[in-house]
Amino acid sequence: MKGSKDIHPRIVELFDQLQDGRLSRREFIRYAALLGLSAAAASQMIGLPWPKSLSAADIRRGGVIRVATSVQKVTHPAQFSWVEPTNILRQVAEYLTYTDKNNITHPYLLENWKASDDLKTWILNLRKGIKFNNGDEFTADDVFFTIKQWLNKDVGSSILGMMGAYLDPNGIEKSDAHQITLHLKKPEIAVPEHLFHYPAMILNHRTFEGDFIKAPHGTGPYTLDVYKESERAVLKRRSDYWQKGADGKPLPYMDGMEFFDMGDEMSPRIAALRAGEIDMIDLATTGGTAAFQALKDYRGVQVKPIGTAQARVMRMRVDLKPWDDNRVRMALKLCQHREKILGLAYFGQGLLAHDFHVAPVHPEYCDKQIPEYNPQKAKQLLKEAGYPNGLRVNLALGSEWTDVVRYGEILKQDAAPAGFNVVLKTMPTSQYWEKWTEVDLGVTPWTHRPLGTMVLNLAYVNDADGNPVAWNETNWADPEFSRLLNEANGTLDVDERRKIFCQLEQIQWERGSIGIAWWQNNWQIVTRRVQDSQPHPTGYMLFNQTWLSEG
Amino acid sequence: MAKFIVRRFILLLITMILVSIAVFMITEASPGNVAKNVLGAFITPEQEKSFLAQMGLDKPAYVRYIYWLVGSDWLADDKVGMKLRRVTTEDGFVEWWAVRSDGALVRWKLEGDDLIAVARLPSLGVATEYTNNGRWQTQEDGTSFFWGVDTANHVVKWEKGADTEVWNFVIGTGWMKASGGPVQYIPLKKGFIRGDPGVSLRTGRPVSKTIFTRLRNSVVLAGIAFVLVMPVALLLGMIAGLKEGSLQDRFLSIGGMIFSVIPEFATGIFLILIMAVWLQIVPGATVFGESAPWQRPDMLVLPVLTLTLIELGYILRITRASMVEVMKSPYIRTAQLKGLPYWRIIFKHAVRNALMAPITVIMLHVNWLMGGIVIVEVVFGYPGLGKYLLDSAMFKDINGLEAGAMILVLLAVGTQLVADIIYTFLNPRIRYT
Repeated sequence: MKGSKDIHPRIVELFDQLQDGRLSRREFIRYAALLGLSAAAASQMIGLPWPKSLSAADIRRGGVIRVATSVQKVTHPAQFSWVEPTNILRQVAEYLTYTDKNNITHPYLLENWKASDDLKTWILNLRKGIKFNNGDEFTADDVFFTIKQWLNKDVGSSILGMMGAYLDPNGIEKSDAHQITLHLKKPEIAVPEHLFHYPAMILNHRTFEGDFIKAPHGTGPYTLDVYKESERAVLKRRSDYWQKGADGKPLPYMDGMEFFDMGDEMSPRIAALRAGEIDMIDLATTGGTAAFQALKDYRGVQVKPIGTAQARVMRMRVDLKPWDDNRVRMALKLCQHREKILGLAYFGQGLLAHDFHVAPVHPEYCDKQIPEYNPQKAKQLLKEAGYPNGLRVNLALGSEWTDVVRYGEILKQDAAPAGFNVVLKTMPTSQYWEKWTEVDLGVTPWTHRPLGTMVLNLAYVNDADGNPVAWNETNWADPEFSRLLNEANGTLDVDERRKIFCQLEQIQWERGSIGIAWWQNNWQIVTRRVQDSQPHPTGYMLFNQTWLSEG
Repeated sequence: MAKFIVRRFILLLITMILVSIAVFMITEASPGNVAKNVLGAFITPEQEKSFLAQMGLDKPAYVRYIYWLVGSDWLADDKVGMKLRRVTTEDGFVEWWAVRSDGALVRWKLEGDDLIAVARLPSLGVATEYTNNGRWQTQEDGTSFFWGVDTANHVVKWEKGADTEVWNFVIGTGWMKASGGPVQYIPLKKGFIRGDPGVSLRTGRPVSKTIFTRLRNSVVLAGIAFVLVMPVALLLGMIAGLKEGSLQDRFLSIGGMIFSVIPEFATGIFLILIMAVWLQIVPGATVFGESAPWQRPDMLVLPVLTLTLIELGYILRITRASMVEVMKSPYIRTAQLKGLPYWRIIFKHAVRNALMAPITVIMLHVNWLMGGIVIVEVVFGYPGLGKYLLDSAMFKDINGLEAGAMILVLLAVGTQLVADIIYTFLNPRIRYT
């Protein structure tokens, strides 16, 4: 193993850790993949069989899957701000990498990637022989063009906020026709994950002029036939897709995909799925609790759960009274009766959480004991903080998130013995988003991210000028925490990282600004005839291998 | 009669103007942020500003109303100094071009500091590009500006030499520094009174393309319900009203009452549960493809049934009440005393007068059926006009709302006119002058 030329030196290190039993096999695959070793090769290294698809005889070709979703206005893919349109267009255009349901990232349009030892130079080797659906060859020019689009201020992509911190437009270099080199300003391990961020679709540099619908040229398995906003979208199979199926012929197995916009109400979609008029409901933004409740025991439907790092975060603004006092924050955190909250607010469909923003699905998660519900201690803390007669606080809640509202109701009840008078301020969800960073106490939904460092960098640090970063909704920043996080950002060794994370988690629990009572499951809900469809923690539809059985 | 109709028509125009102003003002006053509704909660202030500018939403309300009503191209003509023309491409996209003196269509884009014109001769479809820096006009302070049509249907004022520096990526050349860029946008439209209700802010598609499909869907749904309900409801109402207090009267009145008091969302859900989930006779939701709504007539069954039940009870009770009143009136008694045959009394004398009230209600209900059946549409996921209006209102999509409101005004005034004309046939004493 040692001395192999093309393998990143850290992989050897990881392999040693694996053999010492300090790293699980799953983590080894994840980190080896992160450093450019294909998952198949990593599996071979540790002697795991690489899961093979079904034999060709079982798979039926043909058929059209019908999905209820919202068909939104789309122009520039880099500007996407909702997942639903990407689930339609990701079947047409593709990404350089892909993060699977186990949060392992693989090369996709890339053959592989190589990171330098200091994690500041990333070489992206492109897969050769891929053609766009208009016949153009996929080359480094397309990647070069697309990344420049992400980093262009005028385009206004959310990727800029993510990659802009470590990559300048002049840090992108086209090394040859099928190779791009990224020269980063500072070490970063999440580059492959960022390349799979949902607006990061690779565009055809020859034809793209700002509106993808006018020139829908991607490398994906389907072509765009109809796109009528707020009505429907129709995709047709292309015959020369670069991936081959189990039968040796090009993917995809299905003849097409149809997407219907049935409005925002869940009940017609559930009724349509029950009747078999549609095969799937896209739950990426709406959340699946209503559909899960209605369909979990229904015969004709498969409900596939997946654990995520998605959470309802009770956040306290540390620059506003009374939350500037850590004792008050800790008091409210101790008022969460977590089993009860998970059971009543989310039907027990998830994992209990600690009050730090790192989930068990994250590789660097450091196991900690779940805190008990302790109103006596909370009362004591409130008294010490100068509120012996209790405290009246307003909790801002978006009313369309039913689980958030139930969370608030339970908290109100359970915090009363400690002396908190929690006044629930429900408001339309859109109104909550208007002022989510401004309210002193509120519950904000946070989406899943594959690495533990990603959310912490987004929400719990200051920027270079010492101001809270854009999504730091609690204005909380801690010098020790920031230093450790910076260290973690450049540490690839999972064991070392976990050690750092043990400290990070402890700090966020002891003096942090948030309470998280549970991690939510997500679901993929499809009819019986849909085969080989995988649920994904962020609700992405990765449907290349999916096929439809008879009937 | 002709005079009456002309007067009604003028009244219609005035109503439409007033309603459009009212809708505009209400939307203006309501809270909410269009940019966030469309682009999501996490947009940066710069993105928001750019979105509002490109949509023309940064202009004062009265300017936006005028643009909506009479269009903006006439104003933009002067700025560009060329005639502007709207064309529809083969793929169905609407594009605006400036017309050069030789008849070619031109648009502009900025690459670095260079102004590039894209020209298309009508004879050959292929567009040619050439540098067009001659169009820059220098201002006193040394900066230059230029008004032109961009590739996204705006008239844009580009500036260069200004203080703001931006980097633009030019295909084939790389990054080029430019000083300035677009500073002012006028979104191009023809205006409502010239037949262009504009582009929906929510979907980015021309409103006219969506709204007529939606209107057709609603007309189909409401039309079927209407055709089914009216004869049945009128007939049953008359039967019930003929003998007040009889067994059939009690049965029909109570039955009608039950159906008309259960709200339509409840009826709809019960019907879905019984007919679609339990018995599985018909689908409980509407999923329409290309040839909606005829593609799957079975999907129309439950929405139509829900509407029918509600309407049936209502019209039945109105007709019954009217019939009861007429049957008690002295002229019916006189007719009976004269010894006229019973059926002759009913059809020749009673029914015509008894129908006045139901006709008024029915005509008012046509309007309700078109826009007000939003609940039925939402319950069944039916893509109708009511749902379109609801979605537009949620997004503060002013163009969609205005177009929908205008259609409803047209229908309200139109059906009232029809009702007035029907009155003259029912009661010859009514004359309009």
